[in-house]
Amino acid sequence: MNKRRPNPKQVPDPNEPLWRSTLRVAMPLNLSYIPIGLACGILLHAAGFNTLLTGLVSILIFSGGAQFLIATMLTINSPLLSIVLMLFFLELRYALLSSSLSPYLKGQSNRFLFAFAISLNDENYAINYLKFATDKKWTGKEALMVEHYSLLFWAVSNIIGSLIGSALKIDLGVVNFALTALFLYMIVMQIKNRLTIVICLISGVLAALCMMLTKSTLGLVISTIIASLIGFFLETTLRKRLPDSHWLWKLRSPGSKKSTVESESDAD
Amino acid sequence: MNAVNTWNSTQHFWLIILGFCVAFVPRFIPLMLFTKRAIPEWFNEWMKFVPVSLFTALVVKDVFIDSASYQIIFNHFSEMIAAVIVVIIAYRTRSMAISVIVGLIAVFLLSMFIA
Repeated sequence: MNKRRPNPKQVPDPNEPLWRSTLRVAMPLNLSYIPIGLACGILLHAAGFNTLLTGLVSILIFSGGAQFLIATMLTINSPLLSIVLMLFFLELRYALLSSSLSPYLKGQSNRFLFAFAISLNDENYAINYLKFATDKKWTGKEALMVEHYSLLFWAVSNIIGSLIGSALKIDLGVVNFALTALFLYMIVMQIKNRLTIVICLISGVLAALCMMLTKSTLGLVISTIIASLIGFFLETTLRKRLPDSHWLWKLRSPGSKKSTVESESDAD
Repeated sequence: MNAVNTWNSTQHFWLIILGFCVAFVPRFIPLMLFTKRAIPEWFNEWMKFVPVSLFTALVVKDVFIDSASYQIIFNHFSEMIAAVIVVIIAYRTRSMAISVIVGLIAVFLLSMFIA
């Protein structure tokens, strides 16, 4: 994560309490949850959810995508079963996300895994995955704290959104774009080499085709599985046959160059 | 929004409980399984490509797919332009908050001029 304000100290303070250092990691995410959470609360209010239930849904489901979907489907009066089925396909991606985090959570108790699974979502996954991969000192405990911070900010923003929802009239399309922008940001953060860009393009085309064929968001799950498999096979083949291939060259963005000057754990 | 949903709070409550079940199971089961036994190396290498594939698919769904008919549409011009702006901002700033807020402002302004 790139910090916007310049860090006066190059080395992170070793005496900094854990709650503060994890809060610092979680803060960019927390702040970006405020507008999205407000928007989601407003939408849920418009769909007929009362404030208490809005709080409950943001704690129990804790997924921007799922909550936006609930609100949208309620306003078009979809039956309960079809909403739950859509949610299932939308949430199925977490199986892939939590599998990819599991190497870092070996040896944790079932109680910990239970708590970790409840408050896992796309955005705190992205942060924790990055920290686990780049910071050797990052453990499950810190990761869970980041999840709880983001859950707190998300739930409170949702509740406030629900409360001010009655006073505001909003454009659905504009607010929904918050989610799209979030996904775009996460794509850009995931791009490591030229091959990733190719996979993006393949995945985009596949997603459109699969959704047209299945006429549901099940197409998203199918296209994700196919595109990631293609990426996996392409990369393994390239590494074996052409280890110097320019498709595997690392890409650097202006932001990440700047942040490498800062402490290594904060880089990119 | 004009359409008002007719469900009562009890129905909303059951929707949340069922939603929680389908949201929780996919997050918990793999963690349960794969923290206890070793994941094969190829599985990890495959998982690396999952997030980027999924996020692209979701963006395509938001921008190019009609949510009612699931057909490809090319008339969300303000979203398309805003998406390009978001990518540039994200690439340059690497800040989630700035990217989302600029994206929202962009799509809001663009939708006033286009369509």
